[in-house]
This record gives sequence, structure tokens and C-alpha cells, in this order.
Amino acid sequence: MEAISHAGTVLGVLASDGVVLAAEKKVTGKLLDLSVTKDEGKGYGGSGEKVFLLNSNVIGGVAGLTADANSLLNYARSAAQRHLLTYNEDIPVELLAQRLCDLKQGYTQYGGLRPFGVSILYAGYDPHYKFQLYHSDPSGNYSGWKATCIGANSGTAQSLLKQEYKDDITVKDAVGLVLRTMSKTMDSTSLGSEKLEFAILTLDPETKQPKAKIYRPHEIDALLVSEGLTKKEGEGDKDVEMGK
Amino acid sequence: MNSLVQRFSTSSSTPLAALHKAAKVVTEEDDDFSDAAWGSEAGFGNIAKGVPSFAVPAVADPTAFLRLHTDDHADPSCRIKIQHGTTTLAFRFKGGVIVAVDSRATAGSYIASGTVKKVIEINPYLLGTMAGGAADCQYWETYLGMHCRLHELRNKERISVSAASKFLSNLVYSYKGMGLSMGTMICGWDKTGPSIFYVDSDGTRLKGDLFSVGSGSTFAYGVLDQGYHWDLTDEEAQELGRRSIYAAGHRDAFSGNTVNLYHVKEHGWEFIGNYDVNKLHYDGPGNVAGSPGHGYGYDIRVEGLSSANPPVAAAA
Amino acid sequence: METSFAITGKGYVIVAADTTAARSIVKMKIDEDKIKVLGPHLLMAYSGEPGDTVQFAEYVERNIRLYQIRNTYSLRPSAAASWVRRSLAESLRSRHPYSVNLLLGGYDTSSHDPHLYWIDYLGTISEVPFAAHGYGSYFALSLLDRYHNPEASLEEGLETLKRCIDEVSKRLVVSPGKYKVKVVDKDGVREVEI
Repeated sequence: MEAISHAGTVLGVLASDGVVLAAEKKVTGKLLDLSVTKDEGKGYGGSGEKVFLLNSNVIGGVAGLTADANSLLNYARSAAQRHLLTYNEDIPVELLAQRLCDLKQGYTQYGGLRPFGVSILYAGYDPHYKFQLYHSDPSGNYSGWKATCIGANSGTAQSLLKQEYKDDITVKDAVGLVLRTMSKTMDSTSLGSEKLEFAILTLDPETKQPKAKIYRPHEIDALLVSEGLTKKEGEGDKDVEMGK
Repeated sequence: MNSLVQRFSTSSSTPLAALHKAAKVVTEEDDDFSDAAWGSEAGFGNIAKGVPSFAVPAVADPTAFLRLHTDDHADPSCRIKIQHGTTTLAFRFKGGVIVAVDSRATAGSYIASGTVKKVIEINPYLLGTMAGGAADCQYWETYLGMHCRLHELRNKERISVSAASKFLSNLVYSYKGMGLSMGTMICGWDKTGPSIFYVDSDGTRLKGDLFSVGSGSTFAYGVLDQGYHWDLTDEEAQELGRRSIYAAGHRDAFSGNTVNLYHVKEHGWEFIGNYDVNKLHYDGPGNVAGSPGHGYGYDIRVEGLSSANPPVAAAA
Repeated sequence: METSFAITGKGYVIVAADTTAARSIVKMKIDEDKIKVLGPHLLMAYSGEPGDTVQFAEYVERNIRLYQIRNTYSLRPSAAASWVRRSLAESLRSRHPYSVNLLLGGYDTSSHDPHLYWIDYLGTISEVPFAAHGYGSYFALSLLDRYHNPEASLEEGLETLKRCIDEVSKRLVVSPGKYKVKVVDKDGVREVEI
């Protein structure tokens, strides 16, 4: 629990035509090698610290101990594949959350084992309940949300979301809401791809199948520009300003 | 072989001893877990006892073992022969359930006994019939009786015919393919009224108004179907059951000797009587309710009748 | 001999199965229901080895019900069919395989379309517009190739089903006497008289 309150903020907003997820990266620095994440052709995008693709219909955002999170991530992907194998369909979002919570709960029950120090946001789609957003904590509790937040300053973010959220919000507006809230809650004054992960889940207009998009660093920067939330003037931001 | 026989035999050969042995097996199974947890099983259901175990003979391949000692097609001199020839029937009508069976036991072509009880009295409200392997039916229906009694003690009410028959069908289904041979009807009266379930060793379980099982069943059906309707009086129904078994006893070489007749009513079953098939043929059932007053045999029934149709002139 | 049919139409699936339970040459019962209602919008006709059929159908019924209790919603027809297929395929390589053939018909309430799956005891699955099992299939499949209409109304669908039943009664030596017919559509499952 302690680890989570210090972890980077992860924020999710449920819209009528999709779900938006954003996360604050804590591990940054000039010397960090991010070359893999810039690879255009391969991978799923994102810098792979906090936002992951769990299944073709679910994106997960994690806050807490990264090593624990990796283990859970692996479990979630296996659970989703197992469901696909048995039922020949994408795992329903709530069921995936339940699977992970069953695992998490198990570690609270037996002596000698340490629980997973991880909270997770699940942004997903299934034909039963359409777009959904869930949150699960280390004890194995989970709940569904229209907009929620985990990690450091989550209380502040939550109250901001509460003020600004509207029931019929679209993805387009949700993106703005998420980024604005994020910029207000983050410790640092600047907002840029080296401190932010971002993803949206929508329906493909052609196939009507869920489509997850985890933004690449340069896409995040472009998005910030188009949303008018470019970084405050300061060191290392000049090239963006110049590009304007 | 001798050692095997000894291993499975008990010092006493009475059916009571067999039942004690069965009861012992059950208590042993239950002893794995303390009595205090009985019924609650600490929320673990049957998992608390570990993986459910399954009783089969202590040989490498029980199916092959059984076939080796029972298949008289492959080896006519094999020691154990299973009784196959039988006729049993049961039907439901407004007055309850009629259960009628023959009493012949054949082992191959040899009539092993003419006085077999093919109705197993499970409890005062439940009867089971026996066709196929006599030992299989006798053993498992006695075992069923034990569980019916346990159900009664645990739940303070009698087991329904449906539940009892399902218990038996699940049980024999778990032994499917291992050589069990039974075709039985579980008959009784419960809260829903009279009912009959057909259960066989394939695992089939059918609810119905009228069944006949065994090598003579087709002959029994021939009489039974034609004479059956729901509003039969008690006397008519008993007569129909008797006559149908007679028909099979007469036509089927593997059925016969005597007929045993039972009637299940609201307050339990009642044994109506035992009738010699030969007597039925020549003299009829005697002075009993529903008796036609003469023999069932064709020749006796049509005595004095003739199909000759001579021209009137010739007759005159 | 055991025969079952199923036909999809505009917004529905009709499932029909004969009602005889036979043992060797004897009909033991003539009004046996061999179509299980697995959920609010799911039907399954089963046939095959005596004993296995009912045991497997009840196993499926309870697992589908368990899923419904755990998740509040039912499995969609495609997911249910996949699960059933997998159960059969796993059973096939076990010590005692289930010898059961199935027709699974359902209405998907999230995508608003009917689905029909033909499944055999080997674990073969195929989504089809119409299907049949048993000796009746040798007559019905060609007939349905000729007469099936995916946009047929329920009345027209039942007419086509009747063609199948009549044809089988006419040509099959040991044809079943009676059939039980059930329909699944947006309103759920119901039995119909033909």
C-alpha cells in the first residue's frame, strides 16, 4: 500500500465510445536508454513501464512495485489466452480483473507470503458490458469506475475528475480531461513523453472490434501539442517549441 | 485363481454377511475424516476427503479379468456364467404400480434355479427389479437400499424414487465399460405419487409409465401394451401383470417357472402372490382377484372354437 | 434411429430431436426430451451412446449454469459451443470418452443474431446455417441445401423443418415417430408444436 502511494499516478476515464488511460513515469533521466521504445515497427508502443496490453481488448495500467507488476502482467496475459483457448472469445474485462484478484487475494491469506504491492487499472471492451474501467488493489478488491486514479496524489486527481466528468463524455473530450488532470497532479511542472505514458481503447470503425492504441513517445508529444498542453518553457524543451 | 477367490470371499456366505461387508467398506471410506466435520466438511465439500476414490477389483485390468471368467462364447468351460434370461415388468396406473417378474435363473443353457427372487425389496416403499447379472443387481440394489436408509436418517424423510434411481444410475455409470450388466426398474411411491424409473448398466435412466426388461420383454410387451390403460382397477392390473409374465415365460426359453407379483400402493408395497407358469397355462391363477377362471394357454383359451368355415349346405 | 435437425432463420434457431429411447430392437420410451435448455438463449440437442448422452448433457448444463451464476451473464453461443467442443475433445483422449453428438443453437443477445453449431463426438465443430445428426441427416441435408432460406420467418422455418421430418418418415426404414421442437430467438427459448 505504501509503495502505491508513492508510485507514479495512473489515471483512467471511461467515455461513451472508448476508454482513456494515462500514467506518470517515475523512472526517467537523461541516461535511461529508451531506444527500444522508439522503435516504430516492432512492439506495442509505450515505454513499457506502466501501461501494457493485457489482451487485444484490455489495456492495463499499473502502480506499485514494478517487479511484482511484471509477474501479474504475465499472469494476466496467460489468463486471457487461457480464456481464448477455452471459449474462443476475448476474455470479458471483469473476468480478467477477477482472475487477477483471485491471485492477489490468495497472497493475503497465507502466512509467510508477501502480497503483490500493485494496484491496477483495467481499460477494456467486451460485448456484454461494452467499454469498462476497473480498479484492483493489492488485497484483491476490485471495482468498476467511470473515472478513477491510482498512485501518488490520487486523491487530488480523483476530486478533479469528479468535478469535470460528464456522463456522456466522448473519447476526444476524455483525452483532454485526462491530460489536464495529469498535468495538475504530477509533481513536476513539465509534461512530456519522458514523464508520460498514454493509451486509448476504441472500436475499429471498420471491423467493430476493440482497438488498443498505446502511444509512442513522439505521438504523446504530438498529442500534447494538439491539446495545447505543451511543456512549460525550460531546459530540454526547446526543440518542441521550435517545432511549433 | 484360488488366492483371488479367497481374497474376495467371506467366512459366512449369507446375504447378511455381504451387507455387513458392504457397510464396513462405507465406514472405512468415511473414517478418513473426523466425525465432527460431517455434513459441514469445512466448506470444502467432498474435496476434504481428497480425490474421490473408486472401488474396483484388485487386478490389473478388471474388465479383462471379468471377461476371462464369464465369457462362455470364448470358453464354454469358464466357471462363472452370468444369468441373462429374464422377464421383468412394471407399470404405473391409477391404483399404484404393478411389478411382476419371472423366477428362472439360467447359466448358459442350464436352468440354475426356478425360485429366484427377482424383485429386491429395497425398503417398504421401494422395489427394484433384477435383469442381467443377478449378482450385480442384488449387490448394487442392496447397496442402494443402504443409502436410501442413510438418506432417510440424515434428511428425516424418505428418498424420492427419482433420487434413488439417479443414485443407482450415477453409480453404475461410473463402472461403465467394466462389465456390469443390469437392467432394472426402480419402483415406488413418494410425495409425487407412484413412479417408475428404468435404469441400466449403460447408465440410461428413463422415467415412464410402463417398462419391461429382459430376454422375454418383447413377449411381455405384446400382452402388456394391448391390455394397458391408466384406469385399470387393481384386480385388472394385477391380472395384466401376471398374464404378461406368463406370456414371456411361455414363449421365452430363458424365462419361466413362476411369476412373482407385487403391488405398490400409497402406504408401501404388498406381495400379491407367486404363481406357477405351468399352472397358469392349464388352470389359470386359481381363486384370486381378476382371474379369468380358466388357463391362459392358447389351446385352453380356444378350446371348442374352430376356424373351419364349411358351406352351409355341407353342414346341413 | 435417432435423428435431430436444426435450422437457422431470421432471428431464430429451430432445434428438433426425435423422442424415442430405444434399447436394441425395443422402444423403451416414446416421449423422451433430448433437447436441453442450457440458458435463457441456448439450446442443445444430444444423441449417441445411451448413458453418455444424459450424463454429458447434464455436465454441460451445470457448467454453463455455473458460469452464469459466477458472472451474472450467460456465455454467448459461440463461447458455449467452443467450451462444449473442448470438453468433448478432452474426453476423446481420456480413459472413457463420451460418445455424444450435439446440435447447439443459440441467440446472441449482444450481436442480435442466431448461431447454430454442429458438433460430433470427436470434437469437430462447425458453424452452419442448418444441421442434422443421425440417419435422418442423409435425407435432410440435401433437402435443406435446396430449401433452406436464411431470411425465412419462423412459420416458413417450421414448414421447412416439417419437410425434413416428412421426408425422413417417408424414406427411412426405421424412422422415429415423434419429434420435440424448440425455438430460440430474442425472446428466449420455447417449445413449439408441429
